[in-house]
Amino acid sequence: MRTILLTSALALATAGAATADEIRVLNWQGYGTDLDWAIADFTAATGHTVVHEYFTSEQEMLTKLRTNPGAYDVVLINSAYTAQAQAEGLIAPIDPAKIANFADLDPGLTANADLNPAGALHGVPWTWGLTALAVNTTDFPAPPTSIAVLWDPAWKGRVSVRDDGLEAVQLAALATGQNINDIKDMDAVKAKLVELLPQITTFWGSENDWNQFMAAGDFAVATYWSGSAARSIGKGLPIAFVVPDEGAIGWLDGLSIPATSTHPDAAHAFIDWMVDPDFYVKWDAEGAPATSNSKAAAALPETSFNRSILGDPAVVARVQFMRPVSDENREAYLKLWQDLKAAQ
Amino acid sequence: MAGSLERADRRRAALMLSPAYLWLTAAVFLPLSAMAFFSLLTDVPFGGRDWAFTLQNYRDFFETGTYALLLWKSLKLGLIVTALCVLIGFPFALVLAKAIKGRAREALFLLVILPFWSNSLVRIFSWAIVLRGNGVLDAAVNAILPWEVRVNLMFSQSAIVIGLVHSYLPYVILTAYLALQAIDDSLIEAARSLGAPRRTILLRILLPLSAPGLIAGAVLIFVPVVGSFMEPRLLGGRVGTYYGTAIEDQFVAVFNWPLGAALSFILLAVVLVILALATPALRKAPT
Amino acid sequence: MTNRLLARLGHLYLGLILVFLYAPILVMAAMSFNRSEFYQLPFDFTTDWYAKLWHNGEILAAAGRSVWIAGTVTAIATVLGTAASIALYRHSFPGKALLRALLFPPIAIPWLITGTAMLVFFFGIGLDRGTPAVIIGHVALALPYVIVVVSSRLATLDPALEEAARSLGARPWTVTRAVTIPWILPGIIAGALFAFAVSFDQFVVSYFLSEPGDSTLPVLIYTSIRKGFTPEINAVSTLIIAVSMALMLLAARRVRFGGED
Repeated sequence: MRTILLTSALALATAGAATADEIRVLNWQGYGTDLDWAIADFTAATGHTVVHEYFTSEQEMLTKLRTNPGAYDVVLINSAYTAQAQAEGLIAPIDPAKIANFADLDPGLTANADLNPAGALHGVPWTWGLTALAVNTTDFPAPPTSIAVLWDPAWKGRVSVRDDGLEAVQLAALATGQNINDIKDMDAVKAKLVELLPQITTFWGSENDWNQFMAAGDFAVATYWSGSAARSIGKGLPIAFVVPDEGAIGWLDGLSIPATSTHPDAAHAFIDWMVDPDFYVKWDAEGAPATSNSKAAAALPETSFNRSILGDPAVVARVQFMRPVSDENREAYLKLWQDLKAAQ
Repeated sequence: MAGSLERADRRRAALMLSPAYLWLTAAVFLPLSAMAFFSLLTDVPFGGRDWAFTLQNYRDFFETGTYALLLWKSLKLGLIVTALCVLIGFPFALVLAKAIKGRAREALFLLVILPFWSNSLVRIFSWAIVLRGNGVLDAAVNAILPWEVRVNLMFSQSAIVIGLVHSYLPYVILTAYLALQAIDDSLIEAARSLGAPRRTILLRILLPLSAPGLIAGAVLIFVPVVGSFMEPRLLGGRVGTYYGTAIEDQFVAVFNWPLGAALSFILLAVVLVILALATPALRKAPT
Repeated sequence: MTNRLLARLGHLYLGLILVFLYAPILVMAAMSFNRSEFYQLPFDFTTDWYAKLWHNGEILAAAGRSVWIAGTVTAIATVLGTAASIALYRHSFPGKALLRALLFPPIAIPWLITGTAMLVFFFGIGLDRGTPAVIIGHVALALPYVIVVVSSRLATLDPALEEAARSLGARPWTVTRAVTIPWILPGIIAGALFAFAVSFDQFVVSYFLSEPGDSTLPVLIYTSIRKGFTPEINAVSTLIIAVSMALMLLAARRVRFGGED
């Protein structure tokens, strides 16, 4: 794989006069693309250097794209936002021919409708994962199997969910047996959330608070992201990740190239580097979300979190992947969430 | 002669005022005017979105009780925090200005503000370590008391108030100090030699003369606390939703700048009305 | 109560409040020497985080940039703010109340909104992102604090004092330098200290307006919170406080600004 990449990079370097570009990547901090060793290897192999800028919410990511034309070459976009970014003219189509590893990517993901707005690929599927539950194993010798554990009076005051209206509504949709992308019975969702709030000790907002609150024993059971759970387990927190019988919320992150990128070739090369199995296997050892590359997934050790839990077809069958959400629904969910929180 | 002097005065005043206010205009007032304009639209006027003029964003505040309820909660929080800061800060400033002499006074003056040359987020997480069950405060209390008590203030309104009082206490300490230190000691001596009891000196001399400082400090506390969301969110847990949270969410969770801007300007208007009503009353009260 | 007892009580009170003000700082410093990445107790001493910090060029560069920006902002905001305060004190003119009221929007409106507004406005007028834009934004946010604090000190200055100097033939600048500035010096210093604190903790403006790769310490902290920051942040914050404290205590020995004894 490396050799193919090296030759393609060499071909690129000889073909274009511009040999070494500085590319700018817009992503969450600490989310794979900014790993020191990965960037060092990439620069050694291609000559391109990489500078990062970070966002702290998807809305801010879009704002940064809108107000900084030409500033970025690669941007991480959750598939629920890819179509919006494309509709606003913020991102350009991807040329799969420039991505040597493209053939190894899961065809189900590369064909994902949300990554292909207007009939063209606008985001290379990179990672995916779940928003499900994590429990403190000192409180739960045997992990729970149902999402109802969040509503269990035994854990009142030691439950947490993320402070996010959309996620809260989708969680309640799962608990009431509904499709998270097409919620028919909002009254049931609301009633479920009304019951949930008194259970809550605090809302979490980031991996940072989550780890600290869990380490201090504030949480017995809380929603969590799969990639983060792998990382927290790796750092020694006594937790287990649970995908409840009712299902979990799935998300897919893609790497896109802004329409105003000034180094699209180097950007393609960087995306190719990021979906390479060599990179992924090393990243997985530090705690990573699941990969889009089938070869990379197959190369993981048997004991790897991503292989043992997310590699299980029975688990994947229960996942409901998040689709784009209209502004109206997003605002309505936020309003409901704010109303409930304000009443506390 | 008098006319030309006045003109020179006016020129000097303009010369001293304009750099600060031009700077504020370019970097704050004009950008905020753009936000005020957005608050009157149905959607932001870029990204190829359709927009029209509307007052709906302001109407939203009155049509749903949630925002008014949150603003009321935030105003109460602002009052509690301001009152506590003044009650705790004034005696500190008084001792510092009147009972500490020489170099120690300069050193203490600087040490009051030093903790705030740090990151507020790191400070809030440190408070969490202090306030939670089995935390530093719990351990300290149990080390002193002979019987066992459980102290867990985390995720409560008390935690929010403690965090905010901590963040804003230096403002009132320093502004009250600036006023108290300006009071001539001979004035207090004279009152004392005439037989005035301490209470009278405090109520008739120290409080009235330090009023400008106390008011400045109180304003610098009340105004930002009403819009705060970081301390409430991290320390308040389930009960940590305030008006600032509602504003922030319009920018972070959804892309509804018009509503977020409208909520901000309502906050500004309410705060200014309160200041306008309170300042004359505060100025008069101590005399 | 005797005066001595009262003084003792006063000192005790100062001590207690200082403990309160420094409590989170002490905890922050303690956690920079604790092994657990998640601030977990019991305490387990280590200097590893300092060793890691030493090799973390990103944090060190961000901290250096933050100090440099805050210093520049403090100098500009203090000079401009003091000049404006003196003019507001000395002269009465129509619209003065409005000028004072205009100080409140930047304090009352959450920084997130003001910062977003600056981003959109600067983008609209074509001002490039970078350190100058960051400093322009920080100074604007610090100015109201300086003006309010310095004005509160000016309120204690007897106008007769300036009048006397003027009637003795002193030129306006001489009056300012010889009478006004010495009197309000503690207020100017307090204003400068707040300006530094405002800039040093300012996240939103730096986040939106600094060049990619040029982050300040608050930007680094806020953007890394989603995936978690390590006690290296505590270590760098502890070092900054310790160095500042040493400098301040040195300054307190050398410079007089607390008024006469």
